[in-house]
Amino acid sequence: MGAPTTRIIIMALFSELRRRNVLKVALLYALASLLFLWVVGGSLLWLGAPQWANEFVLLVLALGFPVALIFAWAYEITPAGLKKSLDVDQTQSIVYKTGQKLNAAMSVLAVLGILALVGQRLLPTFEFPTIIEPILLAPVYERPENDNVPQEIRAHTLDNGLRIIVWPDHDIPNVVMYNFVRVGGRNEYPGITGLSHFFEHMMFNGTDRRAQGEFDETMEAVGGANNAYTSKDLTVYQDWFPRSALETIFDLESDRLENLAIDPEVVEAERGVVYSERRLRYDNDNFGRLYLEMNATAFSAHPYQFPVIGWVSDVESWTQQEIEEHFSTYYAPNNLTMVFTGDVTPKEIFELAEEYFGGIDAQAPPPPIRTKEPEQLGERRLLVEVDSPTPLLHMTFHTGSATDPETLPMNLLLNILVGGESSRLHRLFVEEEQIALAISGFQMEGFDPGLVYFYLTLPPGADVATAEARMLEELDKIARDGVTPAELEKARNTMTADYWRGLATINGKASALGNAEVFLGDYQRAFSVPDELSAVTAEQLQQVAADVFDPHKMTVGVLRSPLEEDAP
Amino acid sequence: MRRLKYHLASLLLILSTAAFSQGVTLPDAERVVLDNGTVLILNENHDVPLIGLEAVMRGGAVADPADKHGLASLLANLLVKGANERSSSEFAEAVAAVGGRLDASAGLESLSVSAEFMSRDADLMVELVADALQRPTLAIEEFETLRDRSIKLITSAKSSDPNRLMSSYANAFLFGEHPYGNPVGGSESSLARVTHGDLLAYYADMLGGDRLIISVSGDFDLASMRDALSAAFGGWRAAAGTPIEVAPTEPPIGSRVYLIDKPGATQTYFYIGNMGVARQFAGRAELDLANTVFGGRFTSMLVTELRTKSGLSYSASSRLDRYSQSGSIFIQSFTETSTTVEAMDVALATLGRLRDNGLDAAMIESSRNYIMGQFPPRLETAAQLAGVFAMLEVNGLDAGYINDYGASLAAATQESIASVIDRVYPPANALVFVILGDAEIIREQVAQYGPVTEVSISAPRFHP
Repeated sequence: MGAPTTRIIIMALFSELRRRNVLKVALLYALASLLFLWVVGGSLLWLGAPQWANEFVLLVLALGFPVALIFAWAYEITPAGLKKSLDVDQTQSIVYKTGQKLNAAMSVLAVLGILALVGQRLLPTFEFPTIIEPILLAPVYERPENDNVPQEIRAHTLDNGLRIIVWPDHDIPNVVMYNFVRVGGRNEYPGITGLSHFFEHMMFNGTDRRAQGEFDETMEAVGGANNAYTSKDLTVYQDWFPRSALETIFDLESDRLENLAIDPEVVEAERGVVYSERRLRYDNDNFGRLYLEMNATAFSAHPYQFPVIGWVSDVESWTQQEIEEHFSTYYAPNNLTMVFTGDVTPKEIFELAEEYFGGIDAQAPPPPIRTKEPEQLGERRLLVEVDSPTPLLHMTFHTGSATDPETLPMNLLLNILVGGESSRLHRLFVEEEQIALAISGFQMEGFDPGLVYFYLTLPPGADVATAEARMLEELDKIARDGVTPAELEKARNTMTADYWRGLATINGKASALGNAEVFLGDYQRAFSVPDELSAVTAEQLQQVAADVFDPHKMTVGVLRSPLEEDAP
Repeated sequence: MRRLKYHLASLLLILSTAAFSQGVTLPDAERVVLDNGTVLILNENHDVPLIGLEAVMRGGAVADPADKHGLASLLANLLVKGANERSSSEFAEAVAAVGGRLDASAGLESLSVSAEFMSRDADLMVELVADALQRPTLAIEEFETLRDRSIKLITSAKSSDPNRLMSSYANAFLFGEHPYGNPVGGSESSLARVTHGDLLAYYADMLGGDRLIISVSGDFDLASMRDALSAAFGGWRAAAGTPIEVAPTEPPIGSRVYLIDKPGATQTYFYIGNMGVARQFAGRAELDLANTVFGGRFTSMLVTELRTKSGLSYSASSRLDRYSQSGSIFIQSFTETSTTVEAMDVALATLGRLRDNGLDAAMIESSRNYIMGQFPPRLETAAQLAGVFAMLEVNGLDAGYINDYGASLAAATQESIASVIDRVYPPANALVFVILGDAEIIREQVAQYGPVTEVSISAPRFHP
């Protein structure tokens, strides 16, 4: 019985609130406060005022809100000035006109607000220090600073140091996650070689919450797939999954970081798997065999000399304590960078990251790698004798780290020398002189100075010395005479096209962003590749060739069958 | 404002996800048949300034003469080694100068030229593909160089990467003299028998505008691309020879062992399986669901048994190859020489379990999610789309092959899957074993699986 009456009273109250412009005043107050906070509050921060100054402004505005409403209810503007509402003759009331003025004021504020937003968009360099977002809406995520970077990318670092970069792309309903852990062969020493790679296996082998195998079962059951790789510098975990699996992925990834179980029995079984991988990639593969020996020879001090897969005797004997220490030192949020690309929004990723990773403690930063490779003072040679109808010839020279200014010119040089069918050395050695069946090369681009690496497969019975001499002649020639404008243009175009093809998939996008962030210190560097490529000159290439291809700093490795006269 | 934007974004996400929940849908493409019989398939999309092009013809290694395996592969590789006015190096130079990619290769039943390039270079790249197919130089010097190098690369792989040769040994033993037994890249002895005259004859007989399919996808104007392709390929002559009709395969009887001896090998590579099904097999969705669970992903039964539980191997899988008339199904793995029999027995027991128990409801659900979850990235780029449209056309399939796949996966039941498993996965008494390893150590042990045919890895062929 009481309900209809109550409703009538509420409706009457509401219409009176409207008549007296209380609602409009409330809205106007809120709008004005928002803009005030944005501009004035922001300026305070900008001028170096402490955070509490902003909070004080916010408090004053909040306290003023009920005061303004009560005022609006109790008083009314009349041609004769301000009067108590109760004293105003309703027939003489001009509340309607006042209401129109309030509307006009709100419109002006709204337009100002929109102009400010647009201005912020158009002038990314003039950033309003946006107080509104930290206080009223959400944390501020880092926007790209450079114009050549897709503006939808966001980055954010959690309080525990976990760095996350998100590039939304809604073409397909899928997501790619890369997790870069800063640990690899360079963080090892005799006795624990191979341990970083071993963790690439152990990270899939169970946690306190999940049995061995459950990680993959859960992921695959929601449509996701994963993989991982270990290099001399990094261990990188990759997940490819439909958008619908997003929260499951966060649950799985945070669980193995926080609760990894290192069960001694599982450790023993996994050593066997690593052996099998080693036999596949190195012991039964002549390229792999020679490659391991080359690194062990070209580096005499720096840990890049160790095989990422580990020396066999180390794989057999890492102790439980070493395994546990390795995990707690390197698998810490402050040692990770995660990249998400695909069908996601930055906000949902950062919120999920806070929820799932925010509670994991940071650890003391890992010990720095202090050892620097001393200058090589003279050629080094090595020979691997195993049964092989086709001899192999490998050659390395020392180069800089990923951030070295010579790294990009060296990649262009490699493209000109050995990049595909039209490259100089392929044309000369494989097609014309037929002294090699195949030739290729690459450059290590790591945290520390590395190697540029050439490898040739020679025809059965080939004279290895001739191939080596021809290599040296051609490397000397490019250092002496440089490259032609056409060669430089071709290498640039090829590398630019490869770059764009790489960014055509969400997987390529994740890889490019993460590698730039980790090795170059800023994901935005991924987008300067085309400009950097066009800035390289032929003179720079010649200079780099002269600097690097120094026969006195070369390591030469040969793999061939034992010679007849050597046989016992 | 920003919050509102996010709400709109989430709404759009929900809508797009809903569109995909029933599967993946191919974009629209225009199909044109030119007067000379060449089929054009064009899919215009402007996501990125790239174009993918796939030119494909039926034929391939099944059309190789019986003693000249590798002929189609040599021809494919030679198409891009000089054409029209350009020498071999000028041709490669022209592609590289614009940062493009242009490869030619032979498969078991087709020969194709595929290219990927920036849209601004479309005219040049269409010209190069047209030259490679219609005006290849096929110079005798280039032919001899390539043939000799191909032979030496096989010799090199025998010592450096024997795993890469396993499928050639397996097909040769499984299909024998049937054309599906032809090693696509040839063998050392068959390549040595191929002459320049064989090459010219194959080119005249098997390649021509009447058999050509050109699929192109990416950033172009449809009408002008259609005109450019019509002008470039519409005048190509027809192939002189009759198209190859592959005969059905004979179902094998009993179990057999093919042992390839590699003295000193520290590990044994093995394939276990038999003939499988053709591409048009009606139970495709059921077979994919079963094979995903059995050996098609990391948590598969085979990986669980051979790697996770026992540490016997680094990897194990079950591979399905589907051709027009038949196919193969093989368990593939490798292990240390001393655990050869142990690992193979684990594989056999796992196969027995699949045949006995089939898939339960949870496995089916997981398998379906996995297949659908991993599918969209396979149709992400222009080159991938061009490849899929060409694959459908050359095999006489329509868009339903992709578009209805999600629905077929959803319709598969425990019973329909069980019946496909029973039909496709070979029983214990009809298995083909292909084993590469140190025969001195494993010869007697593997004899328990069936009559052994042994060859040396140094023999210059893949057939027994």
